[in-house]
Amino acid sequence: MNRVKLARLIKTGILGVDVTEQDVRSDIEKAKGFPFSAYAVDLSYLELARELLEGTGILLTAAVSYPLGGMTLATKLDQIRFALRVRAEEINATLNISAIRSGDYASVRCELEAMAETAAGAIDVIVIPQFDVLTSEEKLRTCETILEAGVRAIKTDGHGGLCRPEDILLVRRALGRNLSIEASGGIRTTQQALELLDAGADFIHTSTAYSVMEDAEEL
Amino acid sequence: MRADDDGNEFLRSIVHAEFDAHATYRDVRRLCLEAAHYRLGAVFIHPVHCARAMEALAGSDVRIIAAVAFPTGAFTIAGKVCEARDALSRGADGICYVVDVGALRSGKDAAIADEMRALREAVRDRPLTAVLETSVLTDEQTERACILAADATIDFIAPATGFVTTREPLIEAVRRMTKLAAPHVGIAALGEIETLDTAHALIDAGATRLYTATGVQIAQELQENTS
Repeated sequence: MNRVKLARLIKTGILGVDVTEQDVRSDIEKAKGFPFSAYAVDLSYLELARELLEGTGILLTAAVSYPLGGMTLATKLDQIRFALRVRAEEINATLNISAIRSGDYASVRCELEAMAETAAGAIDVIVIPQFDVLTSEEKLRTCETILEAGVRAIKTDGHGGLCRPEDILLVRRALGRNLSIEASGGIRTTQQALELLDAGADFIHTSTAYSVMEDAEEL
Repeated sequence: MRADDDGNEFLRSIVHAEFDAHATYRDVRRLCLEAAHYRLGAVFIHPVHCARAMEALAGSDVRIIAAVAFPTGAFTIAGKVCEARDALSRGADGICYVVDVGALRSGKDAAIADEMRALREAVRDRPLTAVLETSVLTDEQTERACILAADATIDFIAPATGFVTTREPLIEAVRRMTKLAAPHVGIAALGEIETLDTAHALIDAGATRLYTATGVQIAQELQENTS
């Protein structure tokens, strides 16, 4: 696979407590040189990133209740409305992982439906089920709930954890191609990215996009 | 040991914390019952758990402190205000929020001042804690945040969220912050506080609130020492 082809499957971004305005500016400047699929920022930098990504063809992703998902539905919807106002193209919203782990899928479904309704088709809803803290059964049940609620895309992890090809295969085998899967979590090399794509991931999310593309020509 | 200490006052300074947003409903209920049983001052939880905590703590004097903008602080001011109000409406008695550390590092002090004022107004007279991440700040940036916090009449300031692995031990961060903060602003220590000795050392270093997942162990150790 060549670098450009791989870049189209990569979603990147800059997220976290220590990110400065200058960091956002210089990282986006660098990202503009590649046809990345999307670029994610925390909400505090959403307006700046909107300005910087205008006309690049790279989609802007807003991180909602990121990375923990411990915010209430009211807060998540408030954040989605903000993302809509700023004209972000995608949201990455962490689900209520506590509800999943408590077996309360009714609440999870409620949350998903409310998020989809608020997004109203004007912004792509990609939800984060935080795979690294879920059992296989919880992963599958959550993905089923996501599809039932009319949401079509997941990003496997917020922060921490390592995305494994087994997880992608698990979801793909059970649910077919109905769900778009963005593999994320500890992806730092071309090898890892290709393994996850082979397992059925549609996109790779990595904050270290350049090291992931490094060996693209050889592999 | 400190058998002569006012054990009650010490226990009230402990905030029994559930840092994990993915904690189950049972975990949260247990946290609350433990805090009530050991007469700890408060529980610290994510907003999604507020209603459940309020139910579990009905009739007790354990306070509920809600996490806002955790752990990155990288949300808008309006978003933080909305989250804080929402948490208060769901039973939170106080708010512990993460400062926009990225803005502070970008030299945007006016934005930090606006944020602190807006949260102070939203939280009214309930206790408000502003959390920094001093491991990514210079001493000068930390000092400026401390001054802004005092100006905005923030009740407590904390050097770290407990979510970032740092080289500097928590006690050193508390010591530095105690030197920099105004005397009327309390110091909150969030993180791993494993033993009673560590807890006492943090208080000696200037901490006035201890947010830890180990409130029960500390309270039990205190009981053993005083019995």
